[in-house]
Amino acid sequence: MSKEINRLHPVSAIITSVKALKSMILPIVIIIISNGFNFSLNFRSEHFFETILLFGVWGVASLLALVGGIIKWRTFVYWFEDGELRVTYGLFVKKKRYIPFERIQSLNYNEGVFHRIFGLVKVQVETAGSKGGKPEVELTAIRKAAADVIELEMRHAKNEAVQQQVQAQVEEEAVATPMIYHMSMRDLLVLATTSGGIGVVLSGLAAVASQFSDIIPYETVFHELADFVKIGAFLVALTVMVVLIVAWIVSVVITLINYYDYTVRIEEEKLIITKGLLEKKRITLPLNRIQAIRIVENPLRQLTGFATVVVESAGGNGENGNDKKITLFPLIKKLDCMQTLEQLFPDMNWHPTLIRSPKRARPFFYRIDFFWLVPIIGASCYFFYPYGLLSLLLIPLTILLGIWQHKTAGYQIDGKQLAMQYRVFSRITLIMEKKRIQSIESTQSYFQKRKNVMSVKATVMSGATGTTGSVSSLEQKDAEKILTWYEH
Amino acid sequence: MRAQPIHQISRKGLTVWRLYGVIQTLVLLVVAGLVSYGTYYFEWPTFIYFIAGAIVFLSAILSVFIFPKIRWERWRYEVREHEIEVQHGLFVVKRTLIPMVRVQHVDTTQGPILKKYDLGNISISTAATVHTIPALVMDEADVLRARISDLARVAEDDV
Repeated sequence: MSKEINRLHPVSAIITSVKALKSMILPIVIIIISNGFNFSLNFRSEHFFETILLFGVWGVASLLALVGGIIKWRTFVYWFEDGELRVTYGLFVKKKRYIPFERIQSLNYNEGVFHRIFGLVKVQVETAGSKGGKPEVELTAIRKAAADVIELEMRHAKNEAVQQQVQAQVEEEAVATPMIYHMSMRDLLVLATTSGGIGVVLSGLAAVASQFSDIIPYETVFHELADFVKIGAFLVALTVMVVLIVAWIVSVVITLINYYDYTVRIEEEKLIITKGLLEKKRITLPLNRIQAIRIVENPLRQLTGFATVVVESAGGNGENGNDKKITLFPLIKKLDCMQTLEQLFPDMNWHPTLIRSPKRARPFFYRIDFFWLVPIIGASCYFFYPYGLLSLLLIPLTILLGIWQHKTAGYQIDGKQLAMQYRVFSRITLIMEKKRIQSIESTQSYFQKRKNVMSVKATVMSGATGTTGSVSSLEQKDAEKILTWYEH
Repeated sequence: MRAQPIHQISRKGLTVWRLYGVIQTLVLLVVAGLVSYGTYYFEWPTFIYFIAGAIVFLSAILSVFIFPKIRWERWRYEVREHEIEVQHGLFVVKRTLIPMVRVQHVDTTQGPILKKYDLGNISISTAATVHTIPALVMDEADVLRARISDLARVAEDDV
């Protein structure tokens, strides 16, 4: 075991400081905008002091960020000893962290733009205890070869690789491991089109537009708009089209950047996900940490036969840091999805025949909504008289949605596994093993009791709070069957 | 029909809940007093007096007399060899099953009011959820805590 001491690559100093600076940009921009760009370096001007203060504070902060980055790089050391990864860092307060290799759940690689220029990689070391979304150890930037060394050392310690093979394996690795899933260009386009991304982009545009309300002379715009409308509905339609197309293109670009070359491989009971165009990411997920699998079909995708598969994992953090729900397949044909999952988890039943909620339970899916619906409709009819009546349309819509939800609600028990299907808007199929379920709860209101129906909730661990699947208003004896099944 | 869990919580728990209701009503009374003073001082419309009064009155009736009684009658728990079952709820009856192998740790907590009545809450944590059985007689809570942790020690599957 080498006791050689390793350092981070010097670029990590820059990366750390840039990251710190990046978080300062937004407040600065806000201050500048709220100040109305009234800056002056002329010391007679009344804005002189403000300007100096702002730039002074900013300067000092960036200097600190830079120094902080350099200090972190200079003091950060890691080495391997006694089957442990040992890390120390800190200038005044020395921090040491020793992680036994057996405890390491996964090594996640992340290559930002900076990393890629210098052929570096950010390594996040995760253990089961990495709670709150923070990895146990983060090596900001090391050479790829150095990252491979860590992986080798880890395997070494785990006795999973024979010594001679080790050298060969590193080179072959990328080729040898079977690929399970890869996203084609077409998939990416469909993903971009059917995701909520477009809506987000649109609302983002709206938010930006409203932020600049001081700068953009809306009143003039409105007058012009009025003229504009007179010109004809055709132009309006055209503009709407253009806006939609722009939103779509932005959404495609965002999707491309995030999901480009999205590949899932399986290697030694671990799933390895790689993705990204500008920033390459590699996420490792041990199969035995997976708690449950969620198949999500939003209405648009359900219609076109596509689904998203999300895994709930106990350890390791997902792409967004603190959330442990890792998207396994961002978009997959429903038929392929079941086959692939079957291949991954052969012990589980991927073709559940669900027992549905009984017909008499249907009113429970929309009746409760009238509690908030009626006051809203009443108020809007009263206050916005002629147009407020349109809110009456909410009634049939709610009822239809309720009927749809009722049709989706169902469960299946098969040996050691429980499948639940339900929807709010998107249809969710949650499949979990009995030994992974943390608790099961049944709920029954007075009205449900009269109709002999009962709702069931099952919670699995995922992140700090867990994920709960719930099916409303099942036949009471079905609900009790789930409880009894869970007991034994 | 599944049978209800067998144990009820202590009768003193009901008293404590009523006490909580009294405290809540007193707080509301103070707020209502302030609002009424404001109404008097700034000459807001008179119906505010009635609303404030009605809220305090309803709170007194519901949170002191009716709700604690329903909750107390509904609250049941049972600690069996392999699982813990609790039942609670006011309008909606909730029944929760927690297998022993999933229990990670058990806490008992006791605030000043509970202490006066020699009662304690017991919280059972799994990896993802926390379940509380309120207002148990302290000795009973301690015994229960010891028993759960004994039974839970035979854990096998990891999370």
